[in-house]
Amino acid sequence: MNIEYNFAFFDEGSKREIRRATLKAIAIPGYQVPFASREMPIARGWGTGGLQLTLSLVGKEDSLKVIDQGSDESVNAVNIKKLIVLTTGIGVTDETAEATIIQSRHRIPETPLQEDQILVLQVPIPEPLRYYEPSEYETKKLHAEHEYSGAWLMLFEQIVNYGAMSTGADHPVMVHSRYVMAPSPIPRFDNPKLNQNNALILLGAGREKKVYAVPPYTKVASLDFEDYPFRVETFQDKCCRLCGAKDVFLDELLNDITGEASYQCNDTSYCLQRMNGKSKG
Amino acid sequence: MKLDLVHDIQAAYRKTLASMSRPGLIKNLRDQADKVAMEIDCFNSTLVLALMLFDTEVTFKICSEHEAEMAKLINQLTYAKATELESADYILILHDSKPGDLEKAFQMARSGDLLDPHKGATLIIETDVVCNDRNLTLKGPGIEKENYMDVTLTDQWVDWREEKNSEYPLGIDLIFTDRENNILCLPRTTQIIKQVVG
Repeated sequence: MNIEYNFAFFDEGSKREIRRATLKAIAIPGYQVPFASREMPIARGWGTGGLQLTLSLVGKEDSLKVIDQGSDESVNAVNIKKLIVLTTGIGVTDETAEATIIQSRHRIPETPLQEDQILVLQVPIPEPLRYYEPSEYETKKLHAEHEYSGAWLMLFEQIVNYGAMSTGADHPVMVHSRYVMAPSPIPRFDNPKLNQNNALILLGAGREKKVYAVPPYTKVASLDFEDYPFRVETFQDKCCRLCGAKDVFLDELLNDITGEASYQCNDTSYCLQRMNGKSKG
Repeated sequence: MKLDLVHDIQAAYRKTLASMSRPGLIKNLRDQADKVAMEIDCFNSTLVLALMLFDTEVTFKICSEHEAEMAKLINQLTYAKATELESADYILILHDSKPGDLEKAFQMARSGDLLDPHKGATLIIETDVVCNDRNLTLKGPGIEKENYMDVTLTDQWVDWREEKNSEYPLGIDLIFTDRENNILCLPRTTQIIKQVVG
């Protein structure tokens, strides 16, 4: 059976609704705009928010890159790419610089983004205050009243318990000095990249039915305290075992037998590009 | 050639998105607008925006000499419902609107509430020329240092907008269209500084 899908899977009404929400999200940086979130052929919580944003954006001229935890070839990325390619016929690329739309789960690529690119982030839990307030109506009120003491208190408790802020990923940020925003579970290492970025960054949460945005050149500050400033993960004295890169986000790989730890670039296309460059040179 | 409601609208959306995320960036919708094969009382680019954003869930208000005809046409094309200024999601101020219409639209437009600031209206304003002349300086999110813009309207709209948007995140967002099918967007976050003569 050959089913003819619409271009970019969606009917035009669904795209219109997402487009309206996206334009409002850009006008109010960091504010979560509710949207209808259609049923998708992948399960909610597996990137449907990002996927819906990408489908509302994509055109025949686009070149798409999808990454999952830094990898172009993991299951989530491959399946999302397949769906988009099957319903649009556009080309895909692994190279960050060549893509016009980059959909990503949990990373901002190491290669700096350009002005004409759009980064779409998949978000599981868009509400930075959900950790201590389960009610959606209450968190909406807290955002409305600019009442973020709970967010700071959460970080303060971590300092009391562990002597440092212990957010592994999804460290909350303040956008345009107004809204506290969950940056999707990107590592702290990527938080500074949100600040004054060249590219438009769109965030979509399919299960939670929210779209939000960080326009280019927008002030994004990670929450911290004067005496406990925000710190990114450090990889001091370590480098990628394949390409030798320093100052990038590294994965720690443990050898089961020897117990030895080695490090490798988390962004696989960045690593590959460096290695290809080396072999050419 | 006929306007392609999938691909032409997508292309127009990406331009609008670029313009909204970089206030002051002028994008041209000529390639799409030229395909509108209809005798209408608004700019073709305005109709492209309506086709891009309007459907049965949307309410709109038209300020024009031909309000009744245009409202009927847009309703027939998109199924969006015409309503009054204070309840409209989108307010279209066409080039043939009456002199007081723009001010009234700025005053009456819905600016959302603190729980739902995204319910603030979007004004689509038709003007003769949209350009980057250094009459007004723009600052804010989406702008690296500063951008410049000018439209063929008296600068009073800047004050009306400032008053309307004084309680961020409440406010309205603007899209200007011109006779050459240029568009320029001003989200509520953009600050406008008038050039002081002297």
